[in-house]
Parts: sequence; C-alpha cells; structure tokens
Amino acid sequence: MSAVPEGDRFELLAAAGEVADGTLLLANTAARLLGLVVPAFADIATLDSISPGGELRRLGSRVDAPRGRDELEAALLRRRPLPDAPVGLPRAIVSSESQLLVSVTDADLHAIASSDEDFELLRALELRSALFIPLRARGRTVGALALGVGTSGRSYDEDDLRFAEVLSGRIALALDNATLSETVTGLERRLEATLTNLAEAVLVREAGGQIVFANSAAAGLLNLDSAQAATQATPQQLMELYDVFDENGRRLGLADLPSSRAGRGEDAGPLLVRNVIRATGDERWLLHKATPVFDPDGSLSLIVSVIEDLTEVKRAELAQRLLAEAGQELSSSLDYEHTLQRVAELTVPGLADWCAVAMRDGDLLAQVALAHVDVGKVARVRDFEARHPVHLGDPAGAAEVVRSGEAMLIPEITGELLAGAALTDEELALARELALRSVLIVPLAIADQAPIGALTLATAESGRRLGDTDLALAAELGRRAAIAVENARLYGELSAIATTLQRSLLPPDLPAMPGFRMASLYRAAGEQNEVGGDFYDVFEVPGGWMVVVGDVAGRGAEAAALTSLSRYTFRTAGKLLGDPIAALEQLNTALRESPALSLVSVCCVRLRTADGDAFADLVLAGHPPAYHVRRGSCRPVGVFAPFLGAYEHGGWEATTIKLDPGEQLILYTDGVIDTVGADERFGEERLARTLTDATGAADAVRRIEQALVEFAHGSQVDDTAVIAVERTARGVVETRAPGRGDAARVAPN
Amino acid sequence: MGLSSHLTLDTRRLGDAAVVSVGGDIDLTAADAVESALDAARGQCTVLVLDLRAVGFMDTSGLRLVISCQQRAEADGYRFAVVPGSDKIRRLFEIAGFPQGHPLFAGAPTELAGGDGA
Repeated sequence: MSAVPEGDRFELLAAAGEVADGTLLLANTAARLLGLVVPAFADIATLDSISPGGELRRLGSRVDAPRGRDELEAALLRRRPLPDAPVGLPRAIVSSESQLLVSVTDADLHAIASSDEDFELLRALELRSALFIPLRARGRTVGALALGVGTSGRSYDEDDLRFAEVLSGRIALALDNATLSETVTGLERRLEATLTNLAEAVLVREAGGQIVFANSAAAGLLNLDSAQAATQATPQQLMELYDVFDENGRRLGLADLPSSRAGRGEDAGPLLVRNVIRATGDERWLLHKATPVFDPDGSLSLIVSVIEDLTEVKRAELAQRLLAEAGQELSSSLDYEHTLQRVAELTVPGLADWCAVAMRDGDLLAQVALAHVDVGKVARVRDFEARHPVHLGDPAGAAEVVRSGEAMLIPEITGELLAGAALTDEELALARELALRSVLIVPLAIADQAPIGALTLATAESGRRLGDTDLALAAELGRRAAIAVENARLYGELSAIATTLQRSLLPPDLPAMPGFRMASLYRAAGEQNEVGGDFYDVFEVPGGWMVVVGDVAGRGAEAAALTSLSRYTFRTAGKLLGDPIAALEQLNTALRESPALSLVSVCCVRLRTADGDAFADLVLAGHPPAYHVRRGSCRPVGVFAPFLGAYEHGGWEATTIKLDPGEQLILYTDGVIDTVGADERFGEERLARTLTDATGAADAVRRIEQALVEFAHGSQVDDTAVIAVERTARGVVETRAPGRGDAARVAPN
Repeated sequence: MGLSSHLTLDTRRLGDAAVVSVGGDIDLTAADAVESALDAARGQCTVLVLDLRAVGFMDTSGLRLVISCQQRAEADGYRFAVVPGSDKIRRLFEIAGFPQGHPLFAGAPTELAGGDGA
C-alpha cells in the first residue's frame, strides 16, 4: 500500500506548487518543502541543490522520529553523500533517474555509506524503504530529494515512486525559483548598495527614456522627495522642474543632455549645466555624464547617467574670475562710467540676469551702467529710467541702500511684495514685464565713507534665486568699484589742478614785440598731473624785451612750486633791473635761500634795438646753447655756466649777437635734445640740422615739432619748451600768438 | 621708453677711496637709487668717487645729484670726484659749468682710467 493516501497527494502537490509560486529565499523554501513531505510522505527527507559546476549543497533535512530527532537532522544536514556510491542519491543524480529501494538492506547501507560512522548513522534511521529523486528544471538537474520511511511502519512502492516524480517537478521548480531569485536579489542588493552609497547622483534610464533607477543622491540633487519620485515621472516631466542653461547662458532642453544624446547613439561627452530649480530658484552647477549599456545583441539597453555637483567649485571659480576681470577693468581706465558698464556686463549672465550701477549725482541717483544679455530689454529699461529719475530721497531700493549703506537682498519677489511696494502703475507694469525673481542691492562704498552709489543685481529669465553667497560677492564687487571710482575722481581733480598750475606757469599769450616775431612750443611730459619742469616767459624790460626758457630739475608738486618761484622771481627782477645777469643773480639768491638744493637751468635773452639794428644779449645758466639761424646756417650761442641755485657766485656771462631781419634765435629746454628715439637721443647736432633752413620763427618751431614727432619712440618723458624769436623787417610789428590748432601751439593740451 | 637701459650700481674700495660705478641711464627715476648708493658708500673713506663711465645717458637729475654730493663733501670735509666717461656725459658737465679740468674731475684713483687729472 502507498505511503500517502490518494486524497492527501493532491493537497501535497498543491502545497508544493504554492511554494514554487512564492518568492521565498532558498533556505526558507527548502524548509517549507521538507515540512510538506515529512511526515506526510516520508519519515526522513533531505534536500540538496546542485550548482552549475555539479557540486551538491545540502539545503535541509527533516526527520520524524520518536527520539533523537534533532541529532539525526543535524547529522543528516552535515552528511556529504559519497559521490561514486552505486546506490542512492549520487547514482540518481548521475543517471538522472529516480531510484526506489523497496526494502533497504545492510548491503544497501554499506554501498551508500562513506564510512563506518556514516553506516551507523544510516542504520540509526531505521529505514525500510527509500526514494532518491533527481530534481530537474530548465533542462538541467538542479537538486535531489531523498525520502525514507521506517519508524512509521510505512514502505514505498512503484506507485509512491511515480507520485514522488510528479511532486519532484514542483519541488524542482520551487527550488530553482528560489535559487534564481536569490542570485538576482543578491546582485541587485549589491548594486543598489553601491549606487545608493555613491556621493554622485546616479540615474538609470531605459532605452525608451523612462527612468528605472535613481539613487538618493540624485533625488537630493534634483530636489525630489525620494528616489521613487524620479522613477515615477517621465524625463520630460522631470525636466519641467528646472531651468537648465549651459555655461554661456544658453537654455538647454532634455534633448541636449548627454543621457539623451547617448540614447540617440551620439557621442555624448560630459556637459556642465546650470540647473535652476524652478520651485525654489536654487541654482546648482551639474556635470552630466552618460554611459550607454548595450545588450549582448548590441541593442541599447540602459543609459547610466552620473551627475556630479560642481556648484561650490564653479561658484568659487566664477567669483574669482569675476573679481579678477572686474579688477582688471576697474584699473584699466579712468573713465569710470565706461568701466562700470564693462563690470556690469561681466556679471551677466554668470552672476545675475540684470546688473545696474547707479551713482549719486546731487539729489539724484544716476544710472551709469546697465547690463542684460538682451539689448532690447536694456533699451526698454534705459528708456524708462530716463523718464523716471531716481531721487535719493525715494523710500526704497537703491536710494535706501545709498542712504543707509546697508546691502539689501530680496530672494523672492512676490506679487504681494510688488503690490505693497508703492509703485506707480507704470513701474508695476515694468516690474511684471521683466518678471524679476530675485534682487540684491549693495552700496558702492569705501570703508567708513558715505556710499557713492549702488550696484543692483537681479534675476529673471534664469529663475535663479539670489542668496548670501551672491550678496557677499556683490558686496566685494561694489567695494572694488567704489575704490576705482574714487581713484578716477581724485585723479580727475588732480589733473584739473595740474592743468591750472601748468597754465599759471606759462604766459597766456606771447606779447606783441615791435620788430620781432615769436613762436613757441610747449609739450608737457607724460601724464597731466605731473606738473613742474619747464617754463618760459616773455616780458618787457627797460630798453627792450626779456625772453627766458628754464628747466627745473625734478617733477611733481615741489618742482611745480620751484618753477613758479623761478618764473615770477625772474620776471620781477628782470623788469626792475632790466639786465639779464642781474636778474639771474637775483633768482640765484632766491633759490639759494630755499632749504633743499633747488637747481634751475635758464637761457635768457634781452632783445634790444639800437639805431634800427636788433641785438640779443644771451646768458646761459646750466643750460644748453641757444641757436642762431642765419642765412642757411645754424650755430650755437652762449657761454656755459653753472645752474642757478648751485653756488653763491655763478660767473654767468652774456653773449651779444646782432639779429638781422629774417634771422632767428631759438631757445629750448633739454626735453628737446633728450627726446628718446628708436636707438639714440635727439641730441644737439640733430637739432642744429633741423633748424638750419628755417625760414622764420613759426617755421623753426614747426620744424622742431615735426622732427620730434617723427623721431620720438615711446611716450614723452620730459617737458619740452621752445621759443623762436625772429627779427622782422624794420617797422613791421607782428606777433604770432600761440593757440590751439596753430602749427606752433602751446601746450598744455 | 625705448632707449632707457637698466640701472646698475657697483660699490667697491680702492685704497682710501670708495667708488660707486653706475651703469645704464641716470634720469629722474634712477637718481634716488644712485644717491642712496653714494650715501651708503661714503663711510670712513676720504675720497668718494662717482664713476660714470658706463652711463649711457644722464639728464639734469644726474647733475643735481653731482652738485648735491659736491656740496655735502665740501661741508663734511671729504673729497668728491666724478669720472665722467663718455663725450655725451662730458658735454653735459660742460653745459652745467664743469669744463674739462674742473676740480670735480680730480682726485679719483689712477686705476680709474678716463678720469681727468687723476
């Protein structure tokens, strides 16, 4: 008779089928299966799985015995069947055929046992009948089931063998499913653990585009509630949560991202994007990388995207670059309005969509710079601001920041905020048209000083929300801009002072001298504010005229003072005394009285007429010679003598020459002969050659100016003064007054 | 400035003389450095020599410096001598009222060839 009644067999099969359908782990599955067959179909059962390599692994054992059950189960669990036993489990596996031992003999047990100890174990089971069933699934043997009866008094027959084979089909399936599921979940777990713990955000898309996996870093980076949220939305839906731009501010769509490009089979290199979360306005710099994964048949299976958060790095880099470039702009020019406009342009679109700079101008705040990527919008706002000047007393915005010196940040411009801001209808309309999201205003101020203006940054199109980092960067920018503006202003004032001073050092116009014609040239060196250096003067003295050119050693304020002193002292002394040497001695005494060594070189000439002839009495003090141009020749005139201010007695000597009509006397300062050329200085000889064929005073000056312009290499380093005196025909009274546009014109320019 | 060459300063002792040899250009920007070198070299020597043989260009700032040194030497009772070197530099001294044979060029050690009346 069979070990299991007919009715119970169906229940057993159904129960085994349920186990096969479940998703139990392998160990649980084995326990459930063994629990089904013992004691219903066997007193003793063992279940083994077979790896693809052929190795047996005992999954469980079950014994139904009146005593020693646990020990027997443990011993059976440890038991390793003899691989080449002619009877039993190994035999069933190798032959892939079930075996039925209707009555188990000691000879059978000896054949099965691997040792005496094993034999004793088998004996202790008190087996009467045994069944050994190979378990087959998906075309291969995946395990084996051993069943035995004895203590219950049952024994197996052919009928039990057939039932066992049917049951084994279900058991094999359950076992195989559990094994597969365990392998897969093991892999998944390992993969998920790896991905989950990655700091980088990982998104996996199917070939069709749907996101099938996202780790928590990705959810965080993309501002999603959970990783599931990423897999529940379509990529397009996700994309709509953000405004995405490339580094140049160009808006990007889903199709531009590397994952999409990889999906289209395109070469998808890494792409750095500025990702602005629409809901919050938070900005992140994300580096997208995508790798396609292909199936064995070559078709695209998955696209793995790794998204790296480079926000900190990128912001630091942007800030550094902005400040560096702004610094360069701010120091490059003294035209601060132009400079501020350039700085404003540097901030868009990297830092903001809008940048405006306003400066205090009396009671108004004048907009001096405005930048946005769209020039049309700039024009629109400029137009508005031209019609609506901002008054310093205005209650809010830049006016308030300039008054208080406190920076202001409005991260989120809401409708209520606008409504409550006491704006005119037109202002409100403009604000809505521009769709500003976020705004910050920092004062343009140098430490402890009243702000001179304000710098405003605002976002609109990018949807970015400005924050404390932006505020700090803008404040630094504002501080630097303020310093640059102050410098430019100071410099402007200094230039104005310099120009005024310079003018005071030169005669406003050359006076009319009967019988003589004059022309002059004055070129101030380098930057305008370095006054000092050369002077010239022409004035009437008893019995004639005095003409003087002088050069003060040094530059700057001290030199300017010395120049002024020299000119007026010489003029006063000359007018009183009428004699050039006496006038020089007077100036020498004045210079000697100053505490520091004050040296002045001078070339002075007294022009006088006697019986219709003109004479020049010329004195040099530390000065190069004057030139006498006469009928196509040019010769130096003057006796060299010490500087004024060097010694108590200089021993200055006058040289007297007769100036016939058409002849010229050229006085100059060393700026002329020291002018730097490509490989030498202008020099006395070149000057003499330049003057040889001069036809008159104006021509002489024009020749010198032209020669210097052609010769000079690089910027002029010293002042240059030239006075040419020409003896005109008897009775002709003429003076060439210098002025702008003349061939011989007078600097300062 | 195209022509301007880099200023070099070299100070050494020759017997009881301290010699400051200048190379390059002496203009407004270089004059202070030369003056500092002369001040530093003065020390305990009885003769302070300004060697201008390697100077390519000098303007009135250089002359002002020479006159300043000359006056200080006179006041403090030591000798100051200039070795002028090139014709251009000699010409400059000439214009400033220091013709050849002027005492300013006397007193430099004989090793400094080119010095007047050494």
